[in-house]
Amino acid sequence: MRFPYKELPGEDRDYLRPVVPVVVEGIAQAPQLCLLDTGSLHNRFGAWVGEAAGVDLGEAEEERLGVGGLVTTARMARVQLTLGETVWEAPVWFCDPWPLAFHLLGQEGFFRWFDVRFRAASYEIEITPGS
Amino acid sequence: MAQVRATIADRLFVLEAQEVERHLRDELPEPIGEHYVVIGGRRFPPKQVVGLATGLDRADFNTHQARRLLARLGFTVGRRSKDAVPVGAEGSGPHGGREAEVLRPYRGRWVAQRGLEVLIAADSPQAVLAWLDRHGQRADAMFLVPDREDQATGAAPA
Repeated sequence: MRFPYKELPGEDRDYLRPVVPVVVEGIAQAPQLCLLDTGSLHNRFGAWVGEAAGVDLGEAEEERLGVGGLVTTARMARVQLTLGETVWEAPVWFCDPWPLAFHLLGQEGFFRWFDVRFRAASYEIEITPGS
Repeated sequence: MAQVRATIADRLFVLEAQEVERHLRDELPEPIGEHYVVIGGRRFPPKQVVGLATGLDRADFNTHQARRLLARLGFTVGRRSKDAVPVGAEGSGPHGGREAEVLRPYRGRWVAQRGLEVLIAADSPQAVLAWLDRHGQRADAMFLVPDREDQATGAAPA
């Protein structure tokens, strides 16, 4: 699978971000833009996604995390995610508040399932499902 | 403000641009077919606008009548297939800066995007999802168009 970097408008300069559209089970009509964040251990999403997808977080323990310079409250659930034709189930920490324009895919919840090649010079990401 | 008299479906209407804008203030645009009109920085299907402004059933007039009326009121009308994506943007990136230009008017808003085109922009992700459900639409991606650097980069806000 190949995805172009996303062009996001900025004040003084625009931003090119390696993001991919991930379908969260329950809101297939709106794939969620997610940053391929090699520095993140886990998947972190805005809490509203969990609510919209009907994820039950009632029993989940609250954790305090730092995201983008902000301390947020997170609760984890395992959810089914889809990228292209590939479906996998991964833990996602749903965070409120959420400071970013997109969600984060991390090492344990994403990169261990896929081989990812960043071609920053040509603004392209190539992703192959891992074996 | 321009005032326009028009007969539609055998009824005479006197419309003002300001009044039309007022009718749309709390409305989300419906999916754009081929034609659109720009009102308050948002693109609407012409028939949605004229239907709301006149109270007429949309079966009582056609897109071309609606488009002509709105153009007479001073609104910009356009055709999606010809000019949905700006040309000539000179930036870097996979689309040469065109995608950033398409998204620029929506900074600070949640959008659902298909290809480079913005299907809907709203103030909350819930409103975007509700619109997609209501109109049976599917997006390629939804996200917040950042209006601050930290939202795009993850850098700690100053």
